[in-house]
Amino acid sequence: MTPSNTDQIADRVREHSPSTFNKAIDRETEGRLLRYAAMGEEGITRQIEELEKEWDMERLLETNASTLTVAAMAAFGLTRNKKWLFVPGFVMSFFFQHAVQGWCPPVPVFRRAGVRTRQEIEREKYALKVLRGDFNDLGAYENEGEITEKALRAVAR
Amino acid sequence: MTTESSIGSVPGAEENDLVRRNTAQEVNQTLDTRMADRVRGYAARGDSNELSARIEELEQEWSIERLIETEASIMGLTGLGLGAFINRKFLAVPAFVGAMVLLHGVQGWYPMLPLFRRLGFRSREEIDREKFAMKVVRGDFVGADNGETASETERVGKALAAIRKS
Repeated sequence: MTPSNTDQIADRVREHSPSTFNKAIDRETEGRLLRYAAMGEEGITRQIEELEKEWDMERLLETNASTLTVAAMAAFGLTRNKKWLFVPGFVMSFFFQHAVQGWCPPVPVFRRAGVRTRQEIEREKYALKVLRGDFNDLGAYENEGEITEKALRAVAR
Repeated sequence: MTTESSIGSVPGAEENDLVRRNTAQEVNQTLDTRMADRVRGYAARGDSNELSARIEELEQEWSIERLIETEASIMGLTGLGLGAFINRKFLAVPAFVGAMVLLHGVQGWYPMLPLFRRLGFRSREEIDREKFAMKVVRGDFVGADNGETASETERVGKALAAIRKS
């Protein structure tokens, strides 16, 4: 497999991650695809289910940022020490930066640990769907209407 | 169940998309129907440049997660600023927002979710479903899997090439 042109796809988290981490994540995905290609339909279907449940970067950041915020606000409530307010101040500023720009301090850490964006997870999922045969025989249909209905069914499977 | 409901997800199947699971059924269906009609429209016109432009647009589309993150951080920071400098009671805002985002992260629901969904904001899964349907229509997947005869490496390579085609 040649180096991917995945980096052309708009994904703010990938754009703001070191390319070595991106590549490591891509390699792992390709390795998994090779294993599942050999497993047949049942294994692939199970893996698709797993992918749909996988925690992506956004969910992890949301959970982290909000846990820190809630904890610091509780600490402030108990101690009445205003210094605690710096925690939600920082956390929410970075959270805002992440939403707008795609980067925030925990992103590189999570990327190194292999946390993926939803787009990356979806790409593995659709590659598995191709391997499962969801998109087979699309050329066999004569009219556009039929291809469209088949496409809509295939992506929803 | 109508045939429309089978477009977004398989009827009766467990919904793994937390945003969809926490949205009223008819709102999900409206979004699904609109998506399907868009795909049909692009397919009927059959213009591959127009399809490519749409695919790019979908990649740039603001997902509902991004919207929630932006909205929550603005609300939280505003409340924090007002609480620190004007009146302490405003500090209830960042505390509440934090709790709600935590709830959203863990379970999926969020107070603004019904509003954002009705405004048409979608989960990344939904956006990508439209994107890959558009890619099928563009012909990216014709011959993407040549089945039993090819080696696994070849099959995976072809599948990934189809997925990544921009």
